[in-house]
Amino acid sequence: MKKGLLIFCCTLLYFASHSANTSRSLFIHGGNLIAVNDSLIPYVSFNEFDSFSQNNPVITLNLGDSLSLWVYNRDTIEHQFAIKNIDKPSISIPRLDSIHIDYFFSQAGNYIYYDPLNYPTNTFLGLAGMIAVKNHNYSSFYWNIKEHDKLWNTRIRAGAKVDWDTYYPKYFTINGKSNPMINEDSQARITGKVGDTLILYIANTGQSIHSIHFHGYHVTVLFSSKYTTHVGRSKDTCPVFPLESLVLQIIPDKPGEYPVHDHNLVAASANNTYPNGMFTTILITE
Amino acid sequence: MKKTKATIFFIVFISATLRISAQRTVVNLVAKMDVRPQYELWDGNEVMLMGFTKLFGTPLSLPSPTLVFNEGDSVEIKLRNMSQSAPHTIHLHGLDVDQKTDGVPNLSFSVPHDSTGSYIFKAPHAGTYLYHCHVISTIHVQAGMYGVIIVNPPDGSNTTWEGGYAYDSENTWMMSELDSFWHQYNYIHMEGQHEHTNGTPILDYNPQYFLINGKSEKQLKGPDNSIISKIDETVYLRLVNIGYYGNRISLPEGLNAKVISSDGRPLPAAYDTDTLEMYPGERYGLLLQPSEVFEDSIQITYFDLNTQISKSIQQMPVKVSEVNGLNTGLVSKGLNIYPNPFKNEVYISTNNLHSYILTVSSMNGAEIMQLEVSDHLELQKLDMADLSAGIYILNINTEASSQNFRIIKN
Repeated sequence: MKKGLLIFCCTLLYFASHSANTSRSLFIHGGNLIAVNDSLIPYVSFNEFDSFSQNNPVITLNLGDSLSLWVYNRDTIEHQFAIKNIDKPSISIPRLDSIHIDYFFSQAGNYIYYDPLNYPTNTFLGLAGMIAVKNHNYSSFYWNIKEHDKLWNTRIRAGAKVDWDTYYPKYFTINGKSNPMINEDSQARITGKVGDTLILYIANTGQSIHSIHFHGYHVTVLFSSKYTTHVGRSKDTCPVFPLESLVLQIIPDKPGEYPVHDHNLVAASANNTYPNGMFTTILITE
Repeated sequence: MKKTKATIFFIVFISATLRISAQRTVVNLVAKMDVRPQYELWDGNEVMLMGFTKLFGTPLSLPSPTLVFNEGDSVEIKLRNMSQSAPHTIHLHGLDVDQKTDGVPNLSFSVPHDSTGSYIFKAPHAGTYLYHCHVISTIHVQAGMYGVIIVNPPDGSNTTWEGGYAYDSENTWMMSELDSFWHQYNYIHMEGQHEHTNGTPILDYNPQYFLINGKSEKQLKGPDNSIISKIDETVYLRLVNIGYYGNRISLPEGLNAKVISSDGRPLPAAYDTDTLEMYPGERYGLLLQPSEVFEDSIQITYFDLNTQISKSIQQMPVKVSEVNGLNTGLVSKGLNIYPNPFKNEVYISTNNLHSYILTVSSMNGAEIMQLEVSDHLELQKLDMADLSAGIYILNINTEASSQNFRIIKN
């Protein structure tokens, strides 16, 4: 017990002594997400640069860092900005305006930044990403998981209402990509060697519950924004709830290539075609 | 001298080979597909299935046979594909086997029609797992190609894991849904797509049937499904979700339910609850320790993962009495007793009981027949044509435990 406390204190001291101020900018732009079958889905996202990209950038911080954030609204309508589970009110960003805000994270974990205005519509359009606050230096991977419905996005973007009680999404993505393109994303594709400690940050920015199944290895839950009691569990299948974020640890004990996918097996498809959905593989070498 | 050495080497080699062979638990599974609707649902509708059986002549059922091993067992599952169409695999979900045994086409191997493939592995941590085909898994799992794998502790005792909780009886419930449109001839046979390759069309999923061990609604009222226990008995309830919906399990307070494990591993902190949610691919282990006499039901709510709207509530009867409990679940230590109710014959299949004494008694305790079963016999037939219609107690007595099952003659 004393040893654990000592390690904890040393970790805090280490990251406190290495704390830094991180400045980042996010630009809200509208565009189209290009689906796996080249279908265009109307989309609005936070972008790292001042142009549309279908990825919401991952902001990585070390525990103890402070974040100085500018958010620019380049869209034609008002948006808001908030970070889930951080005790700060959401901030309005009028069209073509910008805001500046400072954050400090006192706990390592995974936090979702998003547009809470008219929730869930703006978030559903694509305005949600993650902030990974680390207390380690292990290889890390980042999954922004989400499902999409072209008709829903089209209606919402046009200002029309949708009936969430009849929601039946057709596309399922990790970082905006579907199988087989997820393995081309170096932030998403989990690679390592036997015995490595690998850390996976997952944020569900969609409206469906996704049940992520790992072949080959059990994972350990290090962080859950929704169920703190789940920390420490060893699992091969991890449900991820809308606007929930997780941190999982994988220590592979054997080499091989093993699938990871949503075990709601409908989500292994794209526009009713198998297997172009939320499906990727872990690649572990000797 | 050389000849003597060669002979000794040969004898040692043969002995070692036979020893390894003797220690390996071999399970034969046949993958096959119905040619006409035969699986009866609660409303009388019949659908076609694609699934696994132990014998080719046995009709397909939901779920496929439960496989039971002891931790540390060396296991070989021989899959014979007689489905007339698609290739199939067995994915050992949660067992963390190596890549070639993982049952994913392209990354391991698939078994074409009229071929056999072997999955060889060591049974890992005691716990609850599942197996399913991973070829076009969205379709093949819905078609019925799934079952439960139970790994008992190394000594096969009624203990959740080595050094874990002891229990008196166990029930395993596998939750799934069924969309009858996915079971129509042209879809399940995938005409023109016999290879079931990538790019396969998937129907919208709108299930009409919500199943526990392949049954629903009034089918759940029979003795095969109830939890029947005695005060202060401990029941180990294994829950498995292989559907595409979420499940909310609502437990009567009197059961004093404790959640102790998930996905084949003990929880770091077991906890008491009367509600549990579980999602596709997850398993949970619960200990039920009733402290009062009552009759009630466990409710299982099925909800859509996109809308989180409840689509069905199924009820499993619970009866706690002061007299000896009856484990009426058909799955316990790999036992499958069928048909029940029966007319003339009852079959007892197992893959994990090496020897046991079987006794059939009347409800007033009079012994009707006793049989010693040994030599790893997987299928035992009981001829009971001479018995009059009624309810009988079938007792299975092994070195480790003794359990009663209620069987009904029509």
